[in-house]
Amino acid sequence: MFKLRTLAMLAAPIGVVLIASSCDRQPGAVAPGIGKPLAHFQPGNFVCVPVKITGGGRIDYPPEQAEKNPPASHEYETFGAHVMGSGQQDANGVCLADKGALEWVDHRPEMEVNGHPLNLHATEVTFAEVATDASCTDGAVHWGGKLRVQNTGQSDLDFEVWDCDNGEPGRNDGFAISVPAIDYAVQCFTVTPADPTCYLTGGNRQFHPTH
Amino acid sequence: MNIDNFRRAVLIVGLALPMSWTAGSVAAQTARSYGVKVSTPTINQTASSAVLPPGADMVTNSGQSIVVGSLVTAQDAFAIVTGDADATDGSNAVSSATLGAVSLLSGLITADGVVAVASSTIGGNATGSDAEGSSLANLVVNGESVSYPAPNTWMALPGVGYVVLNEQIPTGDGVTTSGITVNMIHVVLQSLTGGGCGLLGCLPGVLTTTGEIIVGSATSSVQ
Repeated sequence: MFKLRTLAMLAAPIGVVLIASSCDRQPGAVAPGIGKPLAHFQPGNFVCVPVKITGGGRIDYPPEQAEKNPPASHEYETFGAHVMGSGQQDANGVCLADKGALEWVDHRPEMEVNGHPLNLHATEVTFAEVATDASCTDGAVHWGGKLRVQNTGQSDLDFEVWDCDNGEPGRNDGFAISVPAIDYAVQCFTVTPADPTCYLTGGNRQFHPTH
Repeated sequence: MNIDNFRRAVLIVGLALPMSWTAGSVAAQTARSYGVKVSTPTINQTASSAVLPPGADMVTNSGQSIVVGSLVTAQDAFAIVTGDADATDGSNAVSSATLGAVSLLSGLITADGVVAVASSTIGGNATGSDAEGSSLANLVVNGESVSYPAPNTWMALPGVGYVVLNEQIPTGDGVTTSGITVNMIHVVLQSLTGGGCGLLGCLPGVLTTTGEIIVGSATSSVQ
């Protein structure tokens, strides 16, 4: 039995290696062309590989800093977001997401709609690609899809997210979002873990290279 | 079953079992949050609550206006819970509850922004939980303005009980498990029972807990 157990212990990691090596990497996939060129997350610097990133938290924007704004200012956003992709591309070279979700609440008074916080809800997550040029220690993902503005019912709006796991704790992580159709963006370009992401002031992002 | 088949069966089981022997085979996460919870002998109500079920990635809930008798009014409550139990890359859980203007006990406690965030992570080289991102805006307790209350700030509410502000309750051993519950406003309702004076003198009454009100609660844990 001892020999059997030893054999089994050796076989397990070999099996993992075999499974992992069978994944087909397809570098060079690009997302739909929304947004603008950035210091990180540059077009062309993405790979289409299996990926998952999860978590949520808080961002205090503006200003672009890692510290919380005074609570009375109400200048903050809270969110939950995750995406998972298996590294498959469609005929147009888009790196497809298998599933995902985004719930975003902007508490800034100037962003209120009919007296309530702006609330964005993803209805579909369509793409997810891993950024190779982002200085995020654990991993960075560019992903997006369609969302609905819960306050107004506007739907099928393109959105994209820049997502950075910069290790632990979560306040080193970054997140940014853009919804061009309503001219909405929370992006940081000066003090930032990886342009255009803004530092999290609460919560955590966790990059999963395998799943 | 002859001995050869038995040996083959043992071999197959022996090869398959180690695949599930990693520490992550018990990977799990908990995430839940809510805007308002009231527990009294006559009211038991939780509003804008989100609980992450096993295998789910995210759950949300919201309510524009919450009224619980004369005990609580609250605006714009959002509860968001996310998490992932990952045996290979580590698990995480993040919960948040946010509210706009809140009023408790007919204005005895007011605030115009409540944020509770609980975050837990395990895996890689880090295990831990924190309440980073939690805050209270323009908080007034019994006429006294309270800014940036430290974790577990206790204040008496004469005739009512007491309140714990920014209550943080850690769980887990910090190595294989970690978690935290954050209650931004936790009122404990108390009443005086017994006591009184008679021919033989006076006896003190006993404070008895009769209920609680929690506004802005977030819980996360991982293992």
